[in-house]
Amino acid sequence: MVGKRQARVGRFDVAAALAARALPGAMTPLIEQARLDAKMILERASGRAPSPLIGEQAEPAPLREVDLLSILPRAFVEKLRSAERDVRMLTGRLILGKNPSPLIERSRPAAGAVVSLPRKTPAMTRPLKVTDVIRETDDAVSIYLTEADGSALEFRPGQFLSVDVIIDGERCRRAYSLASACMAGTPRHITVKRIANGRVSNHLNDTIRVGDELAVLGPSGNFTVEPRPVNERHLVMIAGGSGITPIMSILETILRLEDRSRVTLIYGNRSWKDVIFRDRLAALRDEVGDRLIVDHVLEHAPEDWSGGRGLLTRDVLEGRLDALGIQDDGLQRYFLCGPTPMMQAAHEALQARGVAANRVAEERFTRPEEREGAKGSSEAELVMISRCGHEHGIQVEPGQTILEAALAAGIDMPFSCAMGGCGACRVRLTSGDVRMEEPNCLSRAELEQRYVLTCVGRPHAQSSILVEGA
Amino acid sequence: MLSDKVLDNLPQEVRRRVEPYVEAVQLMTQTSNAKVLRSMAPSGIRGLILQRGKQGVPTKMPSHHRVYFDWTYPNDHPDMRELYTRAKEQQWNGDDLPWHIDVDPENTEKPIMPRQFMAFDDLRDRGIRLTDLEERRLNSSVASWMLSQFLHGEQGALFAAAQVTEAVQFFDGKLYGSTQVVDEGRHVEVFHRYLDTKLNKLYQINDNLFVIIDALIQDSRWDVKFLGMQIMVEGLALGAFGTLYQMTKEPLLKELLRMVIQDEARHVHYGVLALRDHFRHELSDSERREREDWAFEVALLMRNRFLSFEVYEEWFEHKLTRKEWAEFVTNSPGFAVFRQVMFKRLVPNLREIGLLSDRIKPHYDRAGLMKYFDGQSARELSGDQMIAELDAA
Ligand code: FES
Ligand SMILES: [Fe+2]
Ligand SMILES: [Fe+2]
Repeated sequence: MVGKRQARVGRFDVAAALAARALPGAMTPLIEQARLDAKMILERASGRAPSPLIGEQAEPAPLREVDLLSILPRAFVEKLRSAERDVRMLTGRLILGKNPSPLIERSRPAAGAVVSLPRKTPAMTRPLKVTDVIRETDDAVSIYLTEADGSALEFRPGQFLSVDVIIDGERCRRAYSLASACMAGTPRHITVKRIANGRVSNHLNDTIRVGDELAVLGPSGNFTVEPRPVNERHLVMIAGGSGITPIMSILETILRLEDRSRVTLIYGNRSWKDVIFRDRLAALRDEVGDRLIVDHVLEHAPEDWSGGRGLLTRDVLEGRLDALGIQDDGLQRYFLCGPTPMMQAAHEALQARGVAANRVAEERFTRPEEREGAKGSSEAELVMISRCGHEHGIQVEPGQTILEAALAAGIDMPFSCAMGGCGACRVRLTSGDVRMEEPNCLSRAELEQRYVLTCVGRPHAQSSILVEGA
Repeated sequence: MLSDKVLDNLPQEVRRRVEPYVEAVQLMTQTSNAKVLRSMAPSGIRGLILQRGKQGVPTKMPSHHRVYFDWTYPNDHPDMRELYTRAKEQQWNGDDLPWHIDVDPENTEKPIMPRQFMAFDDLRDRGIRLTDLEERRLNSSVASWMLSQFLHGEQGALFAAAQVTEAVQFFDGKLYGSTQVVDEGRHVEVFHRYLDTKLNKLYQINDNLFVIIDALIQDSRWDVKFLGMQIMVEGLALGAFGTLYQMTKEPLLKELLRMVIQDEARHVHYGVLALRDHFRHELSDSERREREDWAFEVALLMRNRFLSFEVYEEWFEHKLTRKEWAEFVTNSPGFAVFRQVMFKRLVPNLREIGLLSDRIKPHYDRAGLMKYFDGQSARELSGDQMIAELDAA
């Protein structure tokens, strides 16, 4: 009876229902008619004409459903019902030997449709203490950090921190590599270079002070090496500008912990005064001798400059590799970090020399301005998460990432950098549509296998994801 | 006792049906103070006989207290004002607990309750052998049961705190009371969320707990509400929370309890402040005696009757008698600790508010509770101290 009101049950209805129950079933239609007639007359008499429109009349309650108690005063009926329940309880236990269920059973949504309402996302970051601030060049600053309790940060060489800075009320998240050697007792630091119009890098360069707190996630990332003292290897590294930071960490760690390994670094910068870690590299070179070769390449070189000149293009790189006499011996590992055109050029140059792709590791830092934000759906979307054999539905609000919504719902999700840079939050999309911020760290192969990153992924339709290996 | 003999001679199936009623009648006939009996009996019938809490519909309880207004807004109780300030400063948000932690009730490394909580050997002696998995499940059932009772108790506390806020005659007390209402609401929130999203198992309210809540919600006298809620039920809660806090290895629950205990410590403190002077100076002797007996009855109810019968009904109804189950639970190490922690908190508070006169002492002594007489009352003990004490134990 969609759309029809049910009329209030009145005296006549109850009388009719009583009669219908008392008299033989054959009489029921008669009684039913009598009830309607009586009602009509009564309503007319009291000045209420039936509605002239079809479908507007209230439907009378069906005779057999008329509740005989309904004309009694409400309070009285409630007492009566309560007494009825009491009696049922007693007879149940004493006569039928049935206890009420000790458990509270509530109707649950169908399996797999348990939906958590969106709640506030728990803070993902933790505060680190700034213990020292050292200016490296005119526009780069090193920030030394410890955990809030003063203990040293745990990390692997080459990993980065996601740093959250609130600027004008807006949260900005950026990745900064830890540039220190990964050894006990070595203070940990990140190095932040000013970027033209870069909000966070300028903010940090201008304002960071000893004693401040920095909200971070991580360390994260797989651009790293495992130092082993027995190793004897040659690492070739190509860095451009602030791309030196993870490279510095790796090369110093390796040179200090692996006595027989060596490193060749091709390092491009705009000019001599822009070279981050210039003195540190020179000092290290004095210490380890020939095991470290640093080849500076300058875009604006002074007249008397004898080293490489120009941007790190493919030609320049090939020239430097030749000049340094680097022959690929099939074992060397290559580490690249710098601006996108440099990385592209390096890949091409190495490929041309027959270096297998699996020996080339790279770290991409994209400028936030280049990132393409993926806008999520404009409505809340349902995302089913299966994890450890359990299914859980969450509501992802517009503006939320899947990761944020899942954490808010109390689901233990894997993640580390929360900015699409490390792959820790990778899950498989089993149905639906999820869009991610680009670029991110997923490879083409991973994309083809329908992997998505929850930390930068937003649903565009109802979707299902599978958390693997949890 | 006569009825025990009668019970023993009944066929098993008949016994199972009538045992709860016999218990209820025994309980009521043991009450010696006629006034107490008169005020508690209707609640006893509603809770124990009619099991109103388990009828599967919302329970509607009339309440008969007077709402006390004061249009002059006096600064009438500096201690309560101080408590109000502290309560405001110590507010916390249930969302901030580490809800991301995965809870597996059957995990043996981070058990919600330790293995030794129940005396499984004792069960074995009674002819019930449980497999390893069953033991773990029983343990986690008892944990769910306890937490469910906490939740039901918190619902009672929420409404009682609201009533008490209406009825109390100190204006500073009313302000303080408003924070307690918020606290209790938050407790309902976090316990429910824990049970609902982590344990997925919710037990019905225990009949005896229902009786206590029913009695104090319906009582028209504000001080009885206070006594029931702020001293007795909060004492029970502190005992139970403290025990579980001490024993659990489950990090989310531990953190949850740590936060809740700090709130509850304030609540009991408030009860002590409000009742101390009132009981000492405002009440006639017979009125005070009645409160004293009332508190004693409720204490016994909590000690003797808070025994996971709902778990019994789920697991052992056809294998053990209720009496055997009651013995088993009473003797289990976990419940022994629980009783101890509870009375360690409760008895000094009763002393402090003047409900442990020489007249009643022998009764407490017989119940083995006098050894807690010299402990610190809530007035002398902050939530932080309580937590530190539990951590050290
Ligand atoms: S958490 Fe690092 S990519 Fe998502
Ligand atoms: Fe509470
Ligand atoms: Fe409380």
